[in-house]
Amino acid sequence: MDFINLLSHISLKHIRFQKARMFMAVCGICLGVAAMVSIDIVNRSVLKSFEDSINHVTGRAALQVTGADSGFPEQMLDKVRNVPGVEYALPVIETNANLAGGKERSFMILGVDSLQDHQIRNYSLTDKSADIPDPLLFLAKKDSILLTREMAVREGIKIDQEIQVQTVQGIKKFTVRGLLDPEGPAKASGGDIAIMDIYAAQPAFGKEGRIDRIDLSFLPGETLNTMKDRIQSALPEGYYVDTPAGRSRQVEILLTRFRKVIGLIGFMAIFVGMYLIYNAVSISVVQRRKEIGILRALGATRVQIITLFIGEALAVSALASFLGIGLGIVFAKLTVGVVAQSVTDMYLKTSVRELTFSWDFLIKDVGIGIIASFAAAAFPAFAGARITPVSAIRAVPYSEDGFLLNRKTRIASAFFILLSILIFTAYKTAGPSSAFRSSAATFSSMIFLVLGVSLSTPAFLRLFMAGFHRFFSPRMGAGVRLAGLNLQKNISRNAVAVSAVFYSIAMFVSSSSMIYSLNRSFLDYIEAVERCDILVSSGHPLAMGGAPSIPMPEEMWKDIEKVPGVLSADPFRKTFLNYDGRRLFLGAIDIVRSMEYNQYILTAGNRKDIRRLLPHQDNIMVNEGFAARYRIKPGDFLVLPTPNGPIRFGVTAVVVSYVSDSGSIWMDINTYQRHWRDHLADNFAVRVKPNESIPTVREAILDRFGKERKIFALPSREFKGIVRDMLGRSFTLTNAVNIITLIIAGLGIIITLLASVLERTREIGVLRSIGMKRGQVSGVVIIESALLGAAGGVLGSATGVLIGWINLEGFFRLDLGASVQYHIHFVSIGWSLLLSIVFSALAGLYPARRAAKTNIVEALAYE
Amino acid sequence: MNRTFGRGVLQYASTIIIFMIIMLSSSAYAMSGREVYEKVHEVRTKSLDHKLEATMVLFDKGGGKRTRTLVSYSKKGNAESYKALVVFKTPPDLKDVGFLVHARTFSDRDLWAYFPEFKRIRRIATNSQDDSFFGTDFSYDDFAGPSALDDYSFRILKEDAVDGKPCYVVEVTPKIHRKYTRYVAWVARDLWIHLKIEYYIDKELYRTGTFREVKVISGVPTAFKAEMENKETNHRTEMKLEDVQYNTRHSDDLFTQRALERAGK
Repeated sequence: MDFINLLSHISLKHIRFQKARMFMAVCGICLGVAAMVSIDIVNRSVLKSFEDSINHVTGRAALQVTGADSGFPEQMLDKVRNVPGVEYALPVIETNANLAGGKERSFMILGVDSLQDHQIRNYSLTDKSADIPDPLLFLAKKDSILLTREMAVREGIKIDQEIQVQTVQGIKKFTVRGLLDPEGPAKASGGDIAIMDIYAAQPAFGKEGRIDRIDLSFLPGETLNTMKDRIQSALPEGYYVDTPAGRSRQVEILLTRFRKVIGLIGFMAIFVGMYLIYNAVSISVVQRRKEIGILRALGATRVQIITLFIGEALAVSALASFLGIGLGIVFAKLTVGVVAQSVTDMYLKTSVRELTFSWDFLIKDVGIGIIASFAAAAFPAFAGARITPVSAIRAVPYSEDGFLLNRKTRIASAFFILLSILIFTAYKTAGPSSAFRSSAATFSSMIFLVLGVSLSTPAFLRLFMAGFHRFFSPRMGAGVRLAGLNLQKNISRNAVAVSAVFYSIAMFVSSSSMIYSLNRSFLDYIEAVERCDILVSSGHPLAMGGAPSIPMPEEMWKDIEKVPGVLSADPFRKTFLNYDGRRLFLGAIDIVRSMEYNQYILTAGNRKDIRRLLPHQDNIMVNEGFAARYRIKPGDFLVLPTPNGPIRFGVTAVVVSYVSDSGSIWMDINTYQRHWRDHLADNFAVRVKPNESIPTVREAILDRFGKERKIFALPSREFKGIVRDMLGRSFTLTNAVNIITLIIAGLGIIITLLASVLERTREIGVLRSIGMKRGQVSGVVIIESALLGAAGGVLGSATGVLIGWINLEGFFRLDLGASVQYHIHFVSIGWSLLLSIVFSALAGLYPARRAAKTNIVEALAYE
Repeated sequence: MNRTFGRGVLQYASTIIIFMIIMLSSSAYAMSGREVYEKVHEVRTKSLDHKLEATMVLFDKGGGKRTRTLVSYSKKGNAESYKALVVFKTPPDLKDVGFLVHARTFSDRDLWAYFPEFKRIRRIATNSQDDSFFGTDFSYDDFAGPSALDDYSFRILKEDAVDGKPCYVVEVTPKIHRKYTRYVAWVARDLWIHLKIEYYIDKELYRTGTFREVKVISGVPTAFKAEMENKETNHRTEMKLEDVQYNTRHSDDLFTQRALERAGK
């Protein structure tokens, strides 16, 4: 009998009779692949939106010169223009603005040299791609702005209409001089972009005499590397010459942790799928062992039996994987907005307008689904092939044939767990530059731990049931004892269900603990460093990290302090600078005043030194992640690029700061202003006088400034609430995968119990014939199910606590620093145990119903 | 085989005939295209010492109309060098917006613009010469004086008449990179100025100009009314000269960046 014959005669028949079970298996695999596909699509769509924005805004520029994010002197333009081989060197300002009316939509302002910019970018003030009735007026007036046609239609704006825009100078009126068709830069930022002449944008956005970037092309015959070197050597240190693709790479580096976490979630999704296939094939082997016995007795070889089961798994997984693509696209559509918002809050403004599909990754996901199915099916398929025809036909309990309880499995389990411990120990003890000090190490440790614990499930279940019989069973009724005995009778089969519950609970507990730890660390940090009463910001309520804020003049603190009830208002300025290829966060604060009420958490150095050495001096604090990466300690020196050239700064202390994955540096705002010549502030920390009401002072601040600029004045509690929401949003995908995992675990339990009920048809018939009522029979099955859930819940919770720790180490502590403490989230463990028991009991309802309906006569005849 | 050979002979013969026709037709005119343009160039060079006041009316595709007035000064230097200054007088939004040209030769020139609201002189890229002159349908090149004849090749297509004035219709093809691939100009035979011009990008007509009300002022034929239409945007600009003076011999101080900032005052 060849493979196709086996499939068509045996497997298809089996599938036809087991529609419900096959449906559930298909659902599980489909969900697993869907999770992978959606994660891939979301991840790529976010990255693609960045890439597209960069490319559209870049135009034909071959190289770009960047400096500090706060801008650099426009005189640098002449230096670049004078480099031999440069054809065009054009200045650019890229900044954020908000419409002051309507939905107060945020958009990108691209300030360009309108007279020359068409040399590099694909648009013109007079060609068909734009409707600009009077280009001369656009050039001559400072209030000129061009909007994209898409944005104008959406906001109901027409040519020559005045619009109010939130700028550094407050709410300013601009006149829409024309509309751009969706070509070139007008396609960037999802169409949320406006173009201004650079010399009009400079004062409006606080960049007088400064530019953000130089886009350049070079003469034919010049090579990229030569030009790059030539321009780099003409510029002071701290300027970065790179291709637009290089800038995309910088964004990729910035999003490294985001991508790593997304990757981890993707992996979890694959693992869930693998579990389900393993589960399905295992149950199939258990349920059809008599059939296997007959086939073997009729002369079928072991290879044929293996091929049959693997073939079935592959056929089902292929179908399910293709269905998973469709479902994954739906998931991606549902989650992409939340993920994009989360990236905007934490890293860079992004606007994902369309999902990015690519056949290669869809094929990859389907491939992974099928390969994972193969790997998952292989183990039970081999086990099925080992069943001897005699034992199968005589219906010897499967556990006696069990492969999961043998010595080899126990050794393999111990080996994987030990390997996991060894890798993790190596990670913890390795130096910062060691290869072991990486997410890859913690990831491997996690995999081996999951594998090791999975293989130990039968042993654990045996232990669990022994404990149950010793401590609980004697005090319970006959039904409970019977359920316990039933479970003990077939440890290997039941271990499969326990594994499914274990894995989903482990993932749930690990991510809950990880999220809880991060939330606690972040909120503790915010609590320590933001102890003001009201936070005044503009453009974005947080105005910290990578959130796209609209800076305000630093001098505004004086006006805020004049508001009745205000005790003090301290400016905070953030910028980013290029350091060792990374986008380093630089925060500037009034160190003396800030230390009066904020409690900076130091991991090295002392407060006295900060007060003594930071104000007005060339000294800085660095965060612990940065300090660990570059082995920096107080007393060391660091040369930082400033718009005025490289400056040597002394390191005074190492502080806890989670504002950036790439590292952060803190200095006194006076020092910052001296070197960066930037007199803007992203927010003001306002303290209210004693006995003054915070809401009243907040209203007074809004009254005072509300007419001239759109500001957020958030009381401390509200601000922290927004941070909490933002953190919550950032884990949306993780939570979604957790829910999928729990659903799949539920399906796994239903499949397992159904198989168990079918296998025990005769036994149930006997019980019914000696007087057991239908309710009692179904009660036994439900209790069995709940016990399986409890066993999986206990093992999953314990493993989840460890996985959460490992993941926090590899995906967060590595970047943010050792101060991110791991906290076990006991609430989620409690919920997990409760959920695993209740969920499993619910999953047992259907099999219980089937069991209760068993016809006594037919059951007794069943063999 | 015979058929192929026959077709080859036919093609060869046709090529010869067409070539002969072209040669005959070229030699049929009293002048070559280049000679026509040498005359045009001569008139243009003469017009380089001037002061003129003009009104421009811009019509957009929706029928909207924007009017502006300007004054233009120009001074011829040695050989091919010249300087020019254009200053807008009205509307108030554009008052004192200026445009300065320093040409070292007919093909090598610097262009600057000045916008009073910004108080900043800005350079205009040299290869922007075919771009719109401040939103009008004229190009910077239309205001920047004559071009170098060696950068173009000329071919007389036919003789024609515009408003009853006999013209040579000359096809001018740039050897250097320009926005257009060629233009066809109707050059008045006795005045040596354009009466009509059509710019093409490959076979596509994208800009047309007409020049009317020609008067001879101080020996320089001058079209007092010009209209340029952009076929791509359906936008057109009418320019009417109000006052024209030649041989003005302006001071060099009028063509400095400082003068640009002061709107020629």
